[in-house]
Amino acid sequence: MPNLMRLEMKKYKLFSYIKGAIIANIIIAGLLVAMLFIAKVEGDLFLTNYTEAITIIDTIVRATFIIFAASLISKLIIGEFKNKTITTLFLYPINRKKLITAKLAIVILFTFCSIILSNVFLTIVFSSVTNYFDLIPGTLSITMVTQHTPSMLMNAIAASGMCLIPLYFGMKKYSASTTIISSILIVMIVSSNSGNFSLNDIIIIPISLAIIGISIAYFAIRNIEKTDLKC
Amino acid sequence: MTYLIRTNRLTKVYGGKEVVSEVSMHVKKGEIYGFLGSNGAGKTTIMKLITNLIKPTNGYIEIFGETLTHKSYEVLKRMGTIIEYPIFHENLTAKEILDLHCEYMGYYDKKEIDQVLDLVNLSHTEGKPVGDFSLGMKQRLGIARAIITKPELLILDEPINGLDPSGIKEIRDLLKMLCKEYGITILISSHILGEMEQIADTIGVIHNGRLISELAMSDVKLSQIDYIEMIVDDGKKAAFILEDKLAIVNYKLVEDHCIRIYESKITQNTISRALMEQNVEIKEISMKKNSLEDYFLKLINGGEMSA
Repeated sequence: MPNLMRLEMKKYKLFSYIKGAIIANIIIAGLLVAMLFIAKVEGDLFLTNYTEAITIIDTIVRATFIIFAASLISKLIIGEFKNKTITTLFLYPINRKKLITAKLAIVILFTFCSIILSNVFLTIVFSSVTNYFDLIPGTLSITMVTQHTPSMLMNAIAASGMCLIPLYFGMKKYSASTTIISSILIVMIVSSNSGNFSLNDIIIIPISLAIIGISIAYFAIRNIEKTDLKC
Repeated sequence: MTYLIRTNRLTKVYGGKEVVSEVSMHVKKGEIYGFLGSNGAGKTTIMKLITNLIKPTNGYIEIFGETLTHKSYEVLKRMGTIIEYPIFHENLTAKEILDLHCEYMGYYDKKEIDQVLDLVNLSHTEGKPVGDFSLGMKQRLGIARAIITKPELLILDEPINGLDPSGIKEIRDLLKMLCKEYGITILISSHILGEMEQIADTIGVIHNGRLISELAMSDVKLSQIDYIEMIVDDGKKAAFILEDKLAIVNYKLVEDHCIRIYESKITQNTISRALMEQNVEIKEISMKKNSLEDYFLKLINGGEMSA
């Protein structure tokens, strides 16, 4: 399996996606810093403490990388069917379930790792900027971080599961745009925030969405050996 | 006789329509088997069935002596294929594509890549993404990819599509060489008759999803007999003269005025003299060759009538 994943990465030159993830991080960091300064100038303290800040960073990061995952899915899976390159892949003496699983594993791992790493990176940037310019009272304490870590991990796991939901819509007509749009809808469901409350806070919602995502992936793989290749 | 591929009453139904019906074909080890049929006859579908991309509705396929199931992955290791047309990840270069192919196939002799690119005349394309290739170049690369692992069986669907005449000859020679030197069995499809004639050892004629004939090329060539065709004013009288005066029995009255004589020893001169003596007017007389094309058109039309 690691070998198949390596070949997929080689085939799609996926290192460019890592570059993309870094750029996304820089943009988010810039946005956060800009928001902080504007808030200070306007005297409107939209971020009053670090706990709130960490939650907002986590939400933005998850939203970004769920959509990022959709673009990966459309490239790695939908694109293979659309461009018929899947024919070539299915002519290799390798179990088809493994071939598709390798692709999905890349999407899941990429999403999970980017969410964690981006959270860490952006929190560091955020706290150093606020500390330096004294924008938020107090400092980011170790306790805050350790308290937040389990929920961030849970959220990252849930996001890695629900990022597979667009696969279902994308595979209907092998359409990349459908894939991306459905991922945006998912983001709107789980990341929209009205008055400090988001649907993601009702724990059952992210968990069931993640389960739906994983089941979609499972059903996509289950019969792949026995059915005709349609493309 | 060892068969490398044998299908038994292979049938494939798509949306209630039989696109392949009851095909029982036999590909011998070490031969070039030509699939001949017009567009949409079912050639590609049969090739997809053999390579396990789609599953038969009825019947079964035996390949390398084992029956194909949805778990038959190992047989794919022994095949090189082009189905429909060669498909690549267009942003990669020819070298990268072959490199990936070898890794997926579990073939680690990377030196072969340069050799095989040389073999199909693509060694000058370094650094160029395949998306910029012409159709002919893609076809060559497809062939390169199919042969690089030296498989025992090559399945090539219309491999000469998009090639120029000299390219066609190169590929033909290459395939013949692979068959002869390496003992590779080749299943090749085409709708171009002349091509099949020059390359195939056995021909399977497919029409409307049915295998209407499967015959050795040597037999086909034998059945191409020359004949003399003439148009006369009175066909019946002429026929009588042919039998009575010239003792020709091997003739056929095609229409009332047209006669075909399949006797190879008799000359046109003798015939016309004999007929003129009896006042039969000859409007036209000529030597005809029963071309392979006629032969297959006849087969296909026959198949249509019985279908």
